[in-house]
Amino acid sequence: MHSFSQLMDGFGAALTPLNLLFAFLGVFLGTAVGVLPGIGPAMTVALLLPITYVLEPTGAFIMFAGIYYGGMYGGSTTSILLNTPGESSSIMTALEGNKMAKSGRGAAALATAALGSFVAGTLATLLLAFLAAPIVDWAVSLTAADYFALAVLAFCAVSSVLGSSPLRGLASLGFGLYFGLVGTDVLTGQPRFTFGVPQLTDGVDVVVVAVALFAVGEALYVGSRLRRGPVQVMPTGGQWFTRQDLRRSVGPWLRGTAIGFPFGTLPAGGAEIPTFLSYSLEKRLSKHGHEFGKGAIEGVAGPEAANNAAAAGVLVPLLTLGLPTSATAAILLAAFQGYGIQPGPLLLTTESALVWTLIASLLIGNFMLLVLNLPLVGLWVKLLKIPRPYLYAGILMFASLGSYAVNADPFDLLLLTLLGLLGLLMRRYGWPVAPAVIGLILGPVAETNLRRAVAISDGDLGVLLDTTLSKVVLTVALASVVVPPLLRRRERRRLRATNAEVD
Amino acid sequence: MSGSTRVTSAGPPPPVPDPPAPAGRAWGELGLVALLAVIGVVLLVDTGRIAVPGSSNTVGPRAFPYAVGAALVLVAVALAVAVWRGDRAAADEGEDVDASTDTDWRAVGLIAAAFVAHALLINVVGWPLAVSLMFASVSKLLGARGWVRPLLAGGVVSVVVWLLFVKLLNVALPGGTLLELVTGA
Repeated sequence: MHSFSQLMDGFGAALTPLNLLFAFLGVFLGTAVGVLPGIGPAMTVALLLPITYVLEPTGAFIMFAGIYYGGMYGGSTTSILLNTPGESSSIMTALEGNKMAKSGRGAAALATAALGSFVAGTLATLLLAFLAAPIVDWAVSLTAADYFALAVLAFCAVSSVLGSSPLRGLASLGFGLYFGLVGTDVLTGQPRFTFGVPQLTDGVDVVVVAVALFAVGEALYVGSRLRRGPVQVMPTGGQWFTRQDLRRSVGPWLRGTAIGFPFGTLPAGGAEIPTFLSYSLEKRLSKHGHEFGKGAIEGVAGPEAANNAAAAGVLVPLLTLGLPTSATAAILLAAFQGYGIQPGPLLLTTESALVWTLIASLLIGNFMLLVLNLPLVGLWVKLLKIPRPYLYAGILMFASLGSYAVNADPFDLLLLTLLGLLGLLMRRYGWPVAPAVIGLILGPVAETNLRRAVAISDGDLGVLLDTTLSKVVLTVALASVVVPPLLRRRERRRLRATNAEVD
Repeated sequence: MSGSTRVTSAGPPPPVPDPPAPAGRAWGELGLVALLAVIGVVLLVDTGRIAVPGSSNTVGPRAFPYAVGAALVLVAVALAVAVWRGDRAAADEGEDVDASTDTDWRAVGLIAAAFVAHALLINVVGWPLAVSLMFASVSKLLGARGWVRPLLAGGVVSVVVWLLFVKLLNVALPGGTLLELVTGA
């Protein structure tokens, strides 16, 4: 129960009035920005990063915790109240949540999402707290070759899972790996691929890349094919969360958590798959199967819980191994590094107090979200109605603020524009953006560990397959790229065959 | 989690058959693929110029860039073939995106131009003024009516944000002569 007493210490540190204020600000701003249409959790974290630049690490991390969960929560509100989902992990929530809102059950949909997020977030964060120490015990024995293998797995999984086309995922990853190479080589200290631009010797800033690809790319993309006409927001009224709703929601919440958390901890692209799995599981188990597609509450409760549990699960590899497995986690990692803190197996020893305060703040933030959000639905609805010209111009304003504040150099803003245009093109042609952010962050990790491993073995590349873990992980990585396209091809062939029969 | 990716197309369920590709779209995507290939080639060429220190039996600063460069070229070729043969991914959907309209490149160019202009103006007239002008132009381009409201909204928000970040949070952000004079910075 060592973890338990440390978690209590974490609560002790987080429960001061000032830190509670930071947590509140984080939750509030995170939700407010996350609610805005067109802004997903990764963009929320990237845009709000500059606010924390001036805080000392503890305060900053408490605020991050709130922003992280708040951004997730805001996204689900948007997907229930607007008729299109903002991010891929909200597709399933939107599917049923939207129908519920349309048929006058908006309040119940929002309530089951909020309560489900709370239940899943709390359980998953507790799991994170109690798994962190054992995983670190195991992780200290990992070799450089193991880390290299894990990074390669993350590359493959992220590229093949996100988006519809693995090749496009790999292409996006390639852009990220290239950005990661620009800058000074850590081991020999010489600049690489800087084209003589002095600003590039420190590398391309993750915040600039994330803000450019997510925020500027989105604003340009919306500008290129703007939906004209008034904004339609679903009614939030209707009958409140009833006893029957609760009975129907509890099972999906718990099952969603059980599905979401393990998926979050794996380098498998985050919350997209577990939300799909949870949805189809609930559809199969429900006694109200006929309601699915017309607004079944289980279809909101399960995926929403899976989504939040996965968000907590993502923090496991981030905090214990230093491996981000989602774009949001990559940005969080960059924020850690901004404070000179390197997540990894040593973090729990060197920055123990900070980690436990962070985990305690996640639990506190989660509770605040529950208390705060249902009463504030009216405010979120107002945010959803912001006229679109002002909304996207405002996103660009905050993109400028965040990127300029990193180095106080207009060069970053020019880079931001160029990368924003890249983000626009990627959206236009259906290339997923997240692999690029992961590649930028994990590329240098992969390279450093590769070189370390081979330096120890004195040039023998066989070292990369020396441990059981590295063998298994690299095999899985290969499979994750090769198998899905084969399955997809088979599926397509089957579909064509059935279609032909119908004709 | 990371729901950060915007919806590109549905994942596992429901299985979507290939959407009929709108005509004339291939060239744009092939251009993006070409950019990827060019970066790959640049990596392969430029990596040769990285100095390798003495001990050469280990993987030096060249190996990884070579591998990435080669991978980029391979992916670009494979993707080019796929696109050429008619493989298309669904364009991103979103709350405010009208998928039925075609890309308005003029709007994109003007928004990007407004953003570049504000980047160059920041150190001359200060962040609040530069960003207000950008805000007003972009919201006009996105269909805001009149000039008064966009300028007023941009001006008020940017000054409030500037005061908050500079006076309260001590972030370095040039305020421009007038604002710095008034607030005594």
